[in-house]
Amino acid sequence: MTNATSQSTRDDAVVISGLGIVSPLGHSFDAVADNLLAGRSGVQAVDPGEFSRERQQFAAPVDALPAPPAGSSRLGANDFAALGRLEQFVVSPVAHAIADSGLARDRAGLRLGLVLGMGAEHLKAWELDFLAGGTSVFEPRREATLVERVARLVEIDGPAVTVAAACASSGYAMALGRQWIQAGWVDACLVGGCDILSPTAIAAFYNLRALSRRSDDPAKASRPFDRDRDGFVMGEGGAFVVIERAATARRRGARIHGELAGIGMSSDAAHMVTPCTDPTEAARAITMALADAAVAPEEIDYVNAHAAGTPVGDVAEAGAIRLALGAASDRVPVSSTKSMSGHLVSGAAAFEAVACLAAIHRQAVPPTVNLDHVDEACPLDHVRHVARAASVRVAASNSFGFGGSNLCLVIRAAA
Amino acid sequence: MSKPSAITIAATANCAVASHALVEAPLSTIAALRDQPPPAGAPSLPSRFLRHCDEQTVVGMRAVLEAIARHPEPRPAFDRYGVIGSSCAAGRISAAQTLAQLKTGGAVVVSPHIVPQCSLHAPASAVSVALGMHGPTIGSSGGPHALSEGLFTAFSFLQDAACDGIWLVVTEWDEEPRLDAAGKPLDDPLCRALAIALVPAGDATAALTLHLHRHAEIEAHAGQEAQSLASFARAIAMCAAGGVLASWSHACPWGAEIRVLSREAAQSAQPAFRREAA
Repeated sequence: MTNATSQSTRDDAVVISGLGIVSPLGHSFDAVADNLLAGRSGVQAVDPGEFSRERQQFAAPVDALPAPPAGSSRLGANDFAALGRLEQFVVSPVAHAIADSGLARDRAGLRLGLVLGMGAEHLKAWELDFLAGGTSVFEPRREATLVERVARLVEIDGPAVTVAAACASSGYAMALGRQWIQAGWVDACLVGGCDILSPTAIAAFYNLRALSRRSDDPAKASRPFDRDRDGFVMGEGGAFVVIERAATARRRGARIHGELAGIGMSSDAAHMVTPCTDPTEAARAITMALADAAVAPEEIDYVNAHAAGTPVGDVAEAGAIRLALGAASDRVPVSSTKSMSGHLVSGAAAFEAVACLAAIHRQAVPPTVNLDHVDEACPLDHVRHVARAASVRVAASNSFGFGGSNLCLVIRAAA
Repeated sequence: MSKPSAITIAATANCAVASHALVEAPLSTIAALRDQPPPAGAPSLPSRFLRHCDEQTVVGMRAVLEAIARHPEPRPAFDRYGVIGSSCAAGRISAAQTLAQLKTGGAVVVSPHIVPQCSLHAPASAVSVALGMHGPTIGSSGGPHALSEGLFTAFSFLQDAACDGIWLVVTEWDEEPRLDAAGKPLDDPLCRALAIALVPAGDATAALTLHLHRHAEIEAHAGQEAQSLASFARAIAMCAAGGVLASWSHACPWGAEIRVLSREAAQSAQPAFRREAA
């Protein structure tokens, strides 16, 4: 990680100064970076349970979650273990991001915010309760939201809101938190998102024909940009990051992992479910992010594609990348880490921002595994099967969601 | 963990209300709303567009159409608007029915519409898709503080020049529906939706001011009464009616205060806020 003493990153730049991750590929930056660059898949056969449509179900689950580090929250290990699964998936990475940023030791005088990107909190909560024998979905009561509860647990006194943009939710959380910092409304902000696997979600996406129906080898099922792709593989997990002004991070002596240099957002306004085949608006989000970061297309060293492995979506994104980057798209390395992590849905954008940081810090582009035969409708500089050593200073990460939400993040090395 | 210390600087932000509408519909009338023609002056929706939408989305869409119909500009353009849909426990009826069916029929009966139509983003996305709005489209909150979280999110995105304005659509049940074991409603609660077109500045008759305190007690996250959407809508309507120095304010759980003011009142109040901010 870059030492905070460097003065090259502008003082008013919004930087990432803390990371917390829960994912099928590990729960630390090093573990995730190692696995991504080794091309390891987190997809496995999972217990289909009584509600599955298939005899065998593939997904990318998260194993035991790490408890919050000491001092990062009001929770002890037993308190954490007593939380519901949804709470654990948020509290764990939030608390680890706080600890990583140094805010567990000293946050005096800093106003902290929290933005949770989560697309279906209530659907998940009702379902978990129902499957455990509860009846909350049938009862006329209103309860505090997850973000309120988490804010209390980690002692965040500033604004705390939930935002949702389907599979781009955690990216929009990063956008909102960055806006708060730029407006001076908070000094630092926890931003990100997570998602969990659930029978209803798997069934709904399956019935929508969005999931891969492969049933041979789990590690081969997620095949973004491949000619033989047939849908995505669901995963769970996500990431939270602490963002703040570079000057604030330096004053605190915090490590700077990278700069959240640019964000672009747009909407296709085309369909509630089906990806838009017209790349104009997705390309506009990419172009806006580049302009926000003040980088030209040829300065992009890596694109982490949204590419989930759906037949329509991957082609549309390839078109958007080509439209936004122009001639540079012939030489900018592109990969989809969903080929290894599965699709983390609400948590995907934040996790893939971490993948961009991995590329920057390891100077290597993670591959798209299973990309045996590139779909000729997706003509890009694909990094296939194995990582590619590269000088990566600026990375862009795309996220697209149901309802036509488009988001692009530009992450720059701190210097 | 060290406790944050109390610091008392503030930030402010302002925006104007270009148009607004409140729609209230009992659950029993929402089925008819799905196919109801738009009010005069509002665009038509694609055929059967609302057939799979959640009840809060249907009423929210109606509020947007009503607000467009009464917009002061003759042919307002919204293609560069963003949409924020801030709902409270949307999707409950569909979720209850889905879970009840899941138990008896298994995964095969789960509707493919449950995720795209009942997740938090759905009301905003429906407005964006149906009415061709290409700015950021975001769901917000999902809980009892949908109004304040939606307003705060709208203020946030209005600071960015990337969109011309924001449609904020806040929806709720007046009382949460009571459901039987199959997910069938047992009563006829009122669904309420307020749609407001927010712009950074302009000649609108009502204005919103966000006053952000520097420090709030952590405990404030708990137990804060959610402000009534109905009273907020009344304040907007009073201010938009003109002339009256109507004022409404709401203290957010985390130390922000949002005020609704007539344009005249907002202009006279701004210097005071600016002094505090400085």
